[in-house]
Formats: sequence, C-alpha cells, structure tokens
Amino acid sequence: MQLNRDVLWYKDAIIYQVHVRTFHDSNGDGIGDFPGLEAKLDYLQELGISAIWLMPFFPSPLRDDGYDIADYNAVHSSYGTLDDFRKFLASAHDRGIRVIIEMVLNHTSDQHPWFQESRSSRDNSRRDWYVWSDTNTPYKEARIIFLDTEKSNWAWDPISKSYYWHRFFSHQPDLNYDNPAVREQMWKVMEFWLEMGVDGFRLDAVPYLVEREGTNCENLPETHAVLKELRQRLDEQFPGRMLLAEANQWPADLRPYFGDGDEFHMAFHFPLMPRMFMGVKLEDRKPITEILQQTPEIPPSCQWSLFLRNHDELTLEMVTDMERDYMYDTYAGNKTMRLNLGIRRRLAPLLDNDRRRIELMNGMLMSLPGTPIIYYGDEIGMGDNISLGDRNGVRTPMQWSGGWNGGFSTADPKRLYAPLIDDPVYGYPAVNVLRQTESEHLLLNWMRRIIAVRRSTAVFGRGSIEFLYPASHRILAYVRQLGNETILVVNNLSSTAQAVELDLGSYKGNILIEMSGKNIFPRVSDLPYLLTMGPYQFYWFWLRRI
Amino acid sequence: MTRLNKGTRGTRRTEIKLAEESFLTDDFLRQLINVGEVDILVGLPTHNNAKTIGSIVQTIQTDILRGFPRERTVIINADGGSRDGTPELVTEVSIDDVRPASNLNALRTLHSISTRYATSPESGVALRTILAAAELLRAKACVVLSPESANIDSEWLSKLLLPIYRDGFDLVTPTYRRHKLEGLLITNLVYPIVRALYGVRIREAYASEFGFSGRFGSQFLGQNVWNDGTDSAGIELRFTLAAITGGYRVCQSFLGDKDHIERRGADLVPALRQTAGALFSALDADFRAWSGVVGSQPVPTTGAEQKLLLESVRVNGKRLREMFSTGVAELDSVFQSILSPSTLAELQRIARLQEEEFHYPAELWVRTVYEFAAAYQKSVISRDHVIQALAPLFRGRVLAFVIENRNASADDVENNIEGLCLEFERLKPYLLQIWKSRE
Repeated sequence: MQLNRDVLWYKDAIIYQVHVRTFHDSNGDGIGDFPGLEAKLDYLQELGISAIWLMPFFPSPLRDDGYDIADYNAVHSSYGTLDDFRKFLASAHDRGIRVIIEMVLNHTSDQHPWFQESRSSRDNSRRDWYVWSDTNTPYKEARIIFLDTEKSNWAWDPISKSYYWHRFFSHQPDLNYDNPAVREQMWKVMEFWLEMGVDGFRLDAVPYLVEREGTNCENLPETHAVLKELRQRLDEQFPGRMLLAEANQWPADLRPYFGDGDEFHMAFHFPLMPRMFMGVKLEDRKPITEILQQTPEIPPSCQWSLFLRNHDELTLEMVTDMERDYMYDTYAGNKTMRLNLGIRRRLAPLLDNDRRRIELMNGMLMSLPGTPIIYYGDEIGMGDNISLGDRNGVRTPMQWSGGWNGGFSTADPKRLYAPLIDDPVYGYPAVNVLRQTESEHLLLNWMRRIIAVRRSTAVFGRGSIEFLYPASHRILAYVRQLGNETILVVNNLSSTAQAVELDLGSYKGNILIEMSGKNIFPRVSDLPYLLTMGPYQFYWFWLRRI
Repeated sequence: MTRLNKGTRGTRRTEIKLAEESFLTDDFLRQLINVGEVDILVGLPTHNNAKTIGSIVQTIQTDILRGFPRERTVIINADGGSRDGTPELVTEVSIDDVRPASNLNALRTLHSISTRYATSPESGVALRTILAAAELLRAKACVVLSPESANIDSEWLSKLLLPIYRDGFDLVTPTYRRHKLEGLLITNLVYPIVRALYGVRIREAYASEFGFSGRFGSQFLGQNVWNDGTDSAGIELRFTLAAITGGYRVCQSFLGDKDHIERRGADLVPALRQTAGALFSALDADFRAWSGVVGSQPVPTTGAEQKLLLESVRVNGKRLREMFSTGVAELDSVFQSILSPSTLAELQRIARLQEEEFHYPAELWVRTVYEFAAAYQKSVISRDHVIQALAPLFRGRVLAFVIENRNASADDVENNIEGLCLEFERLKPYLLQIWKSRE
C-alpha cells in the first residue's frame, strides 16, 4: 500500500498513539521495542488507523517516561537501534501508515550533555543554551504546572551555583530559545528525523519556549516566532510533513498556534475532551456545544486533533473550578485517581466499562470536526492500575492474549517494565486482542467498523459543522458537510431512551441512509423529523437527494 | 377506562372512554418531554408580571447556579392569560445575561418553559399545572415563588429548597419580616385556627412562596381537591393542611422582608374566600384529622420564626368602625342563622361603641369565627354568603387589633397574637360542641 500523497493527509488521518515500550517485546527483556512494534503493524493496519504517534523513544534517564531526553539523535537501547527504527518506519509506510514522532523542544534532561556542559562553568560555550539566574525571583508570574511535585520554576544548581529555569520537573531544564544556536540545533534535530522519513512531529509543551519578565511566560509572540521559523524550514525542505502542537490552552489562546496556516498544521483541542465526558455524565449537550461555539475558525489547511484519553492524566486545566470539582466527584471519587489537575484513568474504567458509553464517546470522537487519536489499548477497552505511581497506571503493557504476560513478552513477569493489568474485569485474561478478534460483537471489531465508516468519507475530517438544537438537551445533533456530501449525526447523551424531533427543513426531500448498516430511513418532509433513540445510541446518516 | 352503565331497557352496554381529558396542553407536554427528569422544579404562577418577571427569573437562575449547579433544574411558568408578554419573558431570559456580572457558569442546560393554562388567573389551576409537571418530570424538590412578591431575594430559593433537598422535609413554608399591622388575616384568623385545630404552629400556612417534595406534591395532585366543587382559590392553604394531615414533615424558613406589588382592587371578600373559605372547607373534609388534636406543637424553623416592623402607619379607624357597625346592623338576619344569640348580642353591643372605646375581645372573636366555621360546614345559608358576612366582623376585629397594638412593641404584639392563639386553643371544645350539635 502506498502512502497517500495529499499534503493535507493529516485531515483524514486516524492516529494511534503508542509508546514503543508498551506495545510488544520482541527480545524477551520485558520492554517493548521497535521490532516488536513492527511485528504488530498488521494488527494496526487491520484496525484501520492511518498514522502512528510514537511517544519519546530517545535515550533518557526515564524520570519522566522519556520526556527527559538525553540524546535527540538516537534510540533508547531498550527499544532497539536506529536501524530498528528505520526498518519499522519503512514497514509502516509500506502499509500506508504514517509515523509521527515526539519532539520535546522546550527542555532536555539534566543528563543531556548540553546541560552538563552548560552547568559546568559560567564561561562554557553552552552556558546560554539554558536559562540561568543568580536569583530565583525572575518570571514570578509564570504558574507552576506540576503542582504536586514542584514548588518553584527555578532549581538551584550546586555545580554552577546558580538557578536554572524549568517549567516542568526540576530535572528538565528549559532550553533558551533566545539563543540562535539553540534554535539552529533543534532544527537540525528535526531535520535528522525528517531525512529519515518521519511524517510529522508532535511538538511537546510548545507554549513555554520563551520567557519574558512581566508575563506568564506562555504563548508569547517570541515563542510563535520560533515556531514559525521551524515551520518555514519544514515547508521549504520537507513539504507534506506535519507539525502537531501540544498546547494545553483555551481555544482562543490556541488559535495563534495555527497562525495564517504558517505555524502548526494541527493542535490538540484540550478543552473539548473533558467536556465530552462531562456531557455524557450530565446527559446534557451544553458543555460540548458551548466549547465548540467558543472554538475559533482555523485556516483551511489546519486541523484540530481530538482525543478521549492519552498517556497523561485526563487534564482538567481547561475547565472552571466548578466543572473540575464535578469531574473529580463523578470520575475520580477515589482521590488516588487524581494527579496534578487531572484524572489518571483510562477510557473504559472512566466509563464504568459501559460498552454503550464507550461506543458513544468514540462515535463523537470520530464525527466531530478534527482528526481523532486513539490511545493504544482503548480499542479493546483496557483498564488501568492506579496503584502504580504518576501516570504509569495508564501505560501498562498491551494485552494481546490471555497467555503468558498477555502475549506482550516472553520475559519473566518480574522483569516487565510494568505489571500487566490482571484484575478480573480488565485483566489480560478477559480483555485482550486475540479474544476480541475472535468475536464479531466485541469492542475491537466494533472499533474496526466505525473506523472504516469514518474513513469512507472525507466529510468528517474536512467538512463544515452546523449544530442542530433539538428541544431535548440530551440530544447532540449536527450536520457535517463537504461539497455535495452531507452527513447528519445524532447522539443521545442520555442513559434512557429519547424521542427527538429534528428540524431538517433545509433538507426536505432528502432520504436518510444509516452509514453503518446502509439502511434507508424515511424521507425528510415539512414536519419535524422524529427519531427514537436508545440509551447512549448514536446515528450517522448520509442525507441523499435521490 | 371502562365504565359500566345500565341500559334503559334492562340491558348492559359498555361505554369506552379512551382517555381522561388532560388539563395539560400538547405543547406543554412536548416541552416537558424535552426537559426530561429533573431534580429541582421552580414553579412560577404568573399573570401580567412583565415588569418584574425578567429579573425574578434571573434571580432564580443565579441562585440555581450558586446553590445547585449540578442538579437538573427547570423553571415552569404557569400563566393565567397574561397580555403583557410575561410567558415570553420567562423563556427568553438567559443566564448569559447575568453571567458576565456574576462570573457564574452553568454546568447544565437551564430550562425555562411556559404554559398558558387559562385566559384568566386561577391559583388552583396554576398549582395543579405545576404539580403535574413536577410529577411527570419526577422532580425531587420543588419551589413555588410568586411574582407578586416584589423583592424575591437571591437566597429565597435556597432557603425553601435546602430543607427539602438536603434534610428530607416535605413542605417548607415561609416566615417573613412584616409590619405588625400587615397580614392581619394571617395573624387573626389563619395562623390561630391552623394552630388550634391542626395542632401545628405554622405562621404562614397560606403562603405564596413555599417548597415541597416531589412525593408530597404527587400525593396532593392525586387528592380529590381539584374536582370536589370547591373554589380552587386558597388551594395553597389546602396544600399546607394536606401536608399536616398526611403526616408529612413540615418546617419553616425565614425569608426576610416581603414586599407586595401594588395591585388595584384588592378587596377583603375575595381574600376571605381564599383564606377563611378554604380553611372552613378544609375543616369539613379534615374533621377526623383535627377533631382529636389537643394543644399545638412548634415546627422546625430555620432563621427567625417571625420578625415585626414597628414604624407607625395611618389606619382609618373611623371607617373600619362604621363598616363594622353598619354590617352588624344590616346583616342582622344573616347573623341570626350563623351566630349564637349570645355572640350576636355581644357583637351588637360593641357595634355601638365609639372608636376610642372600641374593643372586640379575643374570646368573642374566637367564638365568632368558630360559629361561622360551623355554619359554613352546615351550609345554613349559601357558603359564599357566610364568607361575605364575615367581612364586616373581620373589619371590627382589625380595628380592635390596631387599637390594641398601636403603640405596642414587637414583643407585645407577639404576646397578643400568642394570647389570641391560646384563646383559639382553649375554645376548641366549643367548636367541637357546636360542630356536633349542628350535625
């Protein structure tokens, strides 16, 4: 299978997020690796995804799951070699699957040679590659992000006897983007991987690149200038590659990251995700329609990236205090489930393993404007292990079968990088790929079908959206349109059956064709269109004038 | 439902009635379906309240967002034929209008729906509509607020709701800070009678603001009070009495000041129909419930039980006395069928007193009221005539109360009201006696 040559490929993509460590161990050392991941590409192809987003796989002390990079131009020895990566990349491309890798621009590990040099002497040539101060008083208006672990954005370095700036963990010193040499070096890092053939970068923590006194040091114009420069070089040398922004911000603050189509191609829509959970729990479309109404238009070449869960906590930074309290009370009653300003749980446990709600949430993920991202394991309804610290509870080994180590590794279970989920409900004997492959009606096959339907049309990825506001607030309904193709989406957010009357007057004369079963529904007339919907049910209809 | 009637030729035929005629319109029902199940329902009976209804709905929405942000909530407007656009205002007001100022954000959709139940206002139909909506929506806690109250406070909703929603009460009646000479029908008639006969010290048994549980609302909706031929005026009083006789948990909540919107044509006789009429009618229906009650008990109260304002107000005592005296004289034949000879003679005696020496003793007032109640129960004359005949006598009692309390302190006024209540309690055996003798 050839890669689609469309430079806007990311608009139609379905992205699968995975950490190489978690997916499959090919050499029996208890840690997933690139040969293992490559061996599972057929599975991903059958699932129907069109891109893989790899979490950091670079050499690292792994104090922040690889987001503390010690060498940008190599592969962590536990995951294989650069050649292993090249082979994996080629195999993915052979299957029509693109590969997006993580790039942590904002900071390095304190073990990175650049930082070791920088701290070694105030006169070192790399001293200005990081942000140093004799006091811990500058940039006081910058918030602390990891509230549970950090007390300040400054850390004392006993070697150079000065403070260094870090927006995340203190072992992750921020690079100094006011230094042109840093900007040039980070482009060279990206160039290294682009030349190898990667299709895009997920750029981590981009709002924090530049610091300025008297500001909160987020989303500064100088940061945007750095990003625009990177984009320009990308377009000039590697057209068709993609940049995805990780900027946990309100939609209005996110908008500048798209620029005039000259900064990021995509950005995560962070505020939408918790509101989808909120909408289903409240059985009310308000949180979802409200945030999407507040979402600004973006340039035609740009795209939102949507997700339900990922490797981090379900972030509640972009909600009000009242909404956060509600989310905590309803989704994280056990306080050990809470971390920083979020909830460290997977999709299935968050939704009480309720198949109907899991389907509804995925249905919305696939039909709202944007490119959906599926977190590994959520396609089979994997659970989490909150007894593991930090966010490790949602980063446990992929469950391939009910056999030894869940089919993840042949290693002694004690040597696995993390224990498998083994509880009666979500454990690998009950929830695994092999079992779900064998049954038409289990979640994995449902996911395959919904992905196939989503990919059968460009409307979901590229079309406009118009919300319908039926009188029942439990119904979230919208029309997606692209050219002559029109799709009606109706979601019942309620746990009970609902009758809904839709005003489809603009589509009078159209017949409705349900996209999954291809069944024909009655023609739209002058009267309100009546649908009855089961609990958490959703429909996707083609509107066809035949 | 199926009804079996006897045919005229000795045969039986079956008459099938497909459905009871609903008093809810299809449009209202459709709106209720769209709202679905709720936790909290706020009822707003209206009639030409356009001047104030917008701010009242905003106050309610603000209170909901502050106190009950997670609850599923609906405002139900039962309108009695407004011609000033009141229903439209209820549904158009949006929390977004107040949100920028209050920094409030709603988790949920706030529903406001409106229905016109008639072309003229009728409080009983309005309440029945609200109760029906509460039952269909399975509301857990409900509050009715009157747009006639000019100063609905942002905390009224919480004060009436919390005892229901949090503490499991079934009815919350209000208490207010009033002027000592305001609400004399309540202090001289309703409160003492409810207290003496039903044994429960509820200051505002006939309230225009109150809270109730869904379970009590449903029970009352199913009672035979809607089609029993009685005027639905004063149904709020019947509602309170139903809670007492049904053994529901009742409490009071202090709301603070209550200001009324000025309305032209406020008349005593309609007010008596709503209070004395409803009360006498209930006494008839509730005889078994109240006849055995001895003494009275306080009910749990949040905040003050009652506060009185004391500033002097001008009362036209001369006119009150004239209306009393004229009434006693002109209605002599009517009173002969209602009152005992001794009571009538005593009334005729005080009718001859000048204003400065006028006195309508508590005991005489209690006997008067009890004899009217018994006459009403027996329908010695038209029940409406009984109520109309009470009007001049009540004016006499008002004059006596004004004279008695003109310079009284709040404590003195309270003591006088308490004394009157005790007199009602003491003379309850007299009511039972005349009630039975008339039977």
